[in-house]
Order: sequence, then structure tokens, then C-alpha cells
Amino acid sequence: MEIKVIKNILGENDRLAAENQAMFQDKKVFVLNFMGSPGAGKTSVLEKTMERLKDKIKMAVIEGDLFTSKDAERIDKYGVPVIQINTAGGCHLDANMVQKTVKEMNLDELDLLVVENVGNLVCPAEFPVGEDARAVVLSVTEGDDKPLKYPLMFKESEIALINKVDLAPYCNFNMDSAKQDITSLHPGIEVLEVSCTKGDGLDHWCDWLLQKVAAKKGK
Amino acid sequence: MCKECGCGHEGGNTRLQFTVHGYTAESAQAMEKELLGLPGVLYVHIHAHDGETTVDYNPEKTKLGDILQSFSARGLEAVL
Repeated sequence: MEIKVIKNILGENDRLAAENQAMFQDKKVFVLNFMGSPGAGKTSVLEKTMERLKDKIKMAVIEGDLFTSKDAERIDKYGVPVIQINTAGGCHLDANMVQKTVKEMNLDELDLLVVENVGNLVCPAEFPVGEDARAVVLSVTEGDDKPLKYPLMFKESEIALINKVDLAPYCNFNMDSAKQDITSLHPGIEVLEVSCTKGDGLDHWCDWLLQKVAAKKGK
Repeated sequence: MCKECGCGHEGGNTRLQFTVHGYTAESAQAMEKELLGLPGVLYVHIHAHDGETTVDYNPEKTKLGDILQSFSARGLEAVL
């Protein structure tokens, strides 16, 4: 009789994520796993974040993308260290990819590392990479029904940014309904309305990040 | 979770379908909200008129007994 042993891939990811987390804890770097669907505005929020924070804290970015380095090129313009991971079709970043990439960074010189995941509201939520917190970006153009349709992403995130709120008058987006669904899925989650073009909510977002970074440094 | 591409937990979540006696429109809505906030609960759907209740949950994160307790705490009876 042949007994097949199927390797627990997720168990392996959890193990590597724990290693990463220990490494980030040792270096006191706050690591954010930044997630959301394609086009939600993850990179745009990061651009605005760098404008506000790059002279206040030492930050770096890992960019996840299927094939291109388009997002990394946008980050690079701000003079913030960035490393691109191409997943060659893979739908999420995992702890192993991040571990290999981080070896090319000097963590001693960092306060904040943002890992911008592959645009996808499903799979990245299943794969911790060693982060301290997860943030999800949802844009009003995607529709207010998305939190209930993609519940795990919102359950696992500490903060949800509802982006492109300047476009809300032109979209059939019920803000109250979206917020109620998000907070039902995750009681205690912070929900911020954000606009990268008008500036709404960005100071609040950056304050949230600065508090997290300070708390990590103080540990 | 992602059954299309095969990544993620295979069968981590379980879908329960059962009947609950005693719903009002308000209590059904309140139960949906309460259950959805439990760890590992990803989907809740309640038909208040006939009591049909569907809960998609992860037994590793929330025990069935805790779900049933939520009903009895509101004076509702879940028939599994």
C-alpha cells in the first residue's frame, strides 16, 4: 500500500513567517502587509505616504507584482529603497519570497517596511509574511458589496482604507453599508475614508503608521 | 479559501445549514451581525421567516458550541 504524504505548504509558510517576524522584532522594524484588489490605489496611497513620512522615518518598500516593475518604479522616484518581487503569475506574496528579499536590505537602517502585496482580494489574506499588521485598501469604484464578498481580507486587516472617496458622488457606493459590513466582519477594525487626489484621510493614515512604528521601537 | 488557484487552506471552513426557531426580523439581523464578527466566520445568511440559517465558519477558530451559545443567549433555539 502506498501512502502519500502531502506536505503542509501553509504550515511551512507559517513557520517562515514566524522566522521573519522574529527577525523584524529583533530589528524593531514595523512591517505592514499592504493588500487590496488591483487598481484600489495601494501604490497611490504609498506615494502619498512617502511624501509625508519619508523625512520623518526610515522606510523601505517591497513591491509584489506578477510580472512588471511598474509600481517599484513609482516608489523609486521618491528616493525610498524598494525591491521588486515578481511572482511570475503567482497570486500572492509568501513568507519565503519576503525572507529572501529582506536579506538584500539593511534592516538596521529601517523603521518601517511596507510589503505591497499582489493586487488580489482573496489569496494574500491566507499567507502571512511575518508582518506586524495588515491593511486593506478598498476603493469606492469597486462597490460597497466587496467586504462581504471577500470577508477574510477584512477580517485579517487591522485597518481598512476606503479610497477614492472623491469619486463617491459618481459611484453607486453606499458608504454606511460598506462600513457596517467591514465592522461587522471585524469588530474593532479602524476604517478610514481616503482620497489620494484630494488628500482626505491621509494625515490620519500617516499618524496611524507613525504610532505603530513608535510602538514597535518602544518594545 | 481560494479554490480556483488551489492556494490557501483546503477545507479549513465548514458550512453549516440548520433551522432556528423564534427569529424576528430584528433578531435575525442582529444574529447575522454578531456571528459575522466571530473569528473564522466568513458568511452568515438567515431567512427570518422560516428560520433557515447558514453559517460558514472555521472550527479551529470558533467552536460550534460558541455559535450555538450565541443563539441561546438571545432566546433562540438552533435545531441541528
